[in-house]
Amino acid sequence: MDNFEERLVHCFSSVFPGLSEGQIRDASVDSLPEWNSLAAVTLVALIQEEFGVQVSLADLPNLVSFSAVQNYVRHNHVAS
Amino acid sequence: MQQFGTDAMKLIEALAVIQRPFPEHAAPFRAFLACGFTPLHLQTFLTAALRERLAMMRVEISTGLFGDLPGNIERLPIAECDALVAVMEWQDLDPRLGIRNLGGWRVADLPDIIHSAERMLARVEKAICHVANSLPVYVSLPTLPLPPLFTTPGRQASLHELRLRQAVGASAVSLAAHPRIRALNAQRLDEISPACSRLDVQSELLSGFPYQLNHASAMAELFAALVRDATPKKGLITDLDDTLWAGILGEDGVDGISWHLDRQSHLHGLYQQFLASLASAGVLTAVASKNDPALVEQAFEREDLLIGKQSLYPIDAHWGPKSESVRRVLKTWNVAPDAVVFVDDSPMELAEVQAAFPEIECLVFPKNDYPSFWQLLRRLRDVFGKSAISEEDSLRLDSIRAAHTLRYASNGEGSSLDSFLRDAQAAVAVNFGKDKNDRRAFELINKTNQFNLNGKRLTEAAWAAYLDDPGSFLMTVNYEDKYGALGKIAVLLGRIDDGAAAIDYWVMSCRAFSRRIEHHSLRWLFDNFHLQEIRFEYRPTGRNKPVQDFFANIVSAPLPANLRITRMEFFEKCPPLFHNTKVKAAVNG
Repeated sequence: MDNFEERLVHCFSSVFPGLSEGQIRDASVDSLPEWNSLAAVTLVALIQEEFGVQVSLADLPNLVSFSAVQNYVRHNHVAS
Repeated sequence: MQQFGTDAMKLIEALAVIQRPFPEHAAPFRAFLACGFTPLHLQTFLTAALRERLAMMRVEISTGLFGDLPGNIERLPIAECDALVAVMEWQDLDPRLGIRNLGGWRVADLPDIIHSAERMLARVEKAICHVANSLPVYVSLPTLPLPPLFTTPGRQASLHELRLRQAVGASAVSLAAHPRIRALNAQRLDEISPACSRLDVQSELLSGFPYQLNHASAMAELFAALVRDATPKKGLITDLDDTLWAGILGEDGVDGISWHLDRQSHLHGLYQQFLASLASAGVLTAVASKNDPALVEQAFEREDLLIGKQSLYPIDAHWGPKSESVRRVLKTWNVAPDAVVFVDDSPMELAEVQAAFPEIECLVFPKNDYPSFWQLLRRLRDVFGKSAISEEDSLRLDSIRAAHTLRYASNGEGSSLDSFLRDAQAAVAVNFGKDKNDRRAFELINKTNQFNLNGKRLTEAAWAAYLDDPGSFLMTVNYEDKYGALGKIAVLLGRIDDGAAAIDYWVMSCRAFSRRIEHHSLRWLFDNFHLQEIRFEYRPTGRNKPVQDFFANIVSAPLPANLRITRMEFFEKCPPLFHNTKVKAAVNG
């Protein structure tokens, strides 16, 4: 796991503290009842803070799984 | 050694803090966060900041309904809360002052916006004051920028905007005047959260949370610091040469030292002025200097000094190590090292004192570094600042001088404590009114260590609840003698039932030792209430040896946890008391 993924997993585990790393990788809105709108907004705030990525809340409906978030951040993240 | 700023907590750190388990048997601390917006990250940051400061408590924060700040405060279940944190923003005063509503920004709308904001301010103020009669309240006035609804260019303040700010300012003055309301300092917030980086337009419009993360973090940090106010330090010990004044007294002479603009030594004048301010607010100030004592005496005769020698006690000047001076000052003041700050321009002297007293906060006087000097003053204001100045604060230094005189006189050749006290013309005033706003009594319970029955502290809510109990009593004792007034120096909290009293809290200021005020307090209780027995919730602590010694003189050691003293035991051992007594208020009035 590279540093980027490690940081992203850490963001997810801060919002969903009960999940293992494997469960985080498989996490999605459909499979995880705790992934509600409050969790989604918190997750976006964490990602903005951690990666300096400006996430449009209008994109939230598309960020429905770990891999979707991962792809979004990779595309918009300028490595610091 | 010196820490002047605080880094804002990140959201990921805040989440980690609030996910930590609570300690076993942690007492709850229940705060209500009242705001008109979605509390979201502010609630997270506030929970985390409070948990950092109240590590042994179970911090719980509840919130109210979106868009209804006044209603949230009015509906507050006071009995289920320990504190109210009220966060006011412009849109709470009138929705048109926010950006989520489209109520109109036409010129014709502005007078009505201001009028409705003024009415809402009055409603919120009334609701907050009502809560503050039962709970401590921490409040912030609007922190976000006003939207561009005024007709002047942004660089020009509009009359309407100024009227709004005037109304908010007037409301803040009223709120802060209440003894149980603390207003968040806008100037300090400006320093750590720049005004241009506070509003998050996207978050406000799409999720109803208007703050950028840094601003939410800064607000939470300041609120938590208000809720858990650090105990103010008690004393400052200062060096003289190149600190209280510019120059070396032994080399430059009395006329060669300076603190004025024309000698480029104005920082020292500001420092003197600042110390005089601290002293006038009850902070103990003393001198530790490597100098010729006679020369120091002459220097303090200069009439242009901004702090006179009457405000500095003791002035300890000699050629030995500074730590010796500090030790003598601490003994004279009878305060612990952790309640003291030492200021010196020499890092070597600071290190020597720090090695001898690791608990003392040692701060360098940055004699030619203007920005660092400014930070020094800020730091000193933070560590010595208190919410209110009491009458006792202004008496403190005089009473320490008097105590020194008393110790000297009572230890003198051929003089006994009895004869000394008989001659002291002591008067004790017992006050039996249950005043929840008695800040001095509350402060004594929460800062006294030595004569403290059990070391227990009280939150503001617990203090109010204790006094609300119809079976409880609050007894405070004021003292004065011919050497001066000590003000309010002892507090007892307890209950009286069926010929016996149960004392839960008993503290007495160390300034009042050796005057038999503790004996007098118990004698008054026994006599006034015809008691046969007094029970004490006594517990030895690492620091309450004076209480342990007092009890050991009356009952045989070892002292039990539920200590009882009968009338007979007390009067058999009570030494002669020479105080005149005045009762100042009706019982449980």
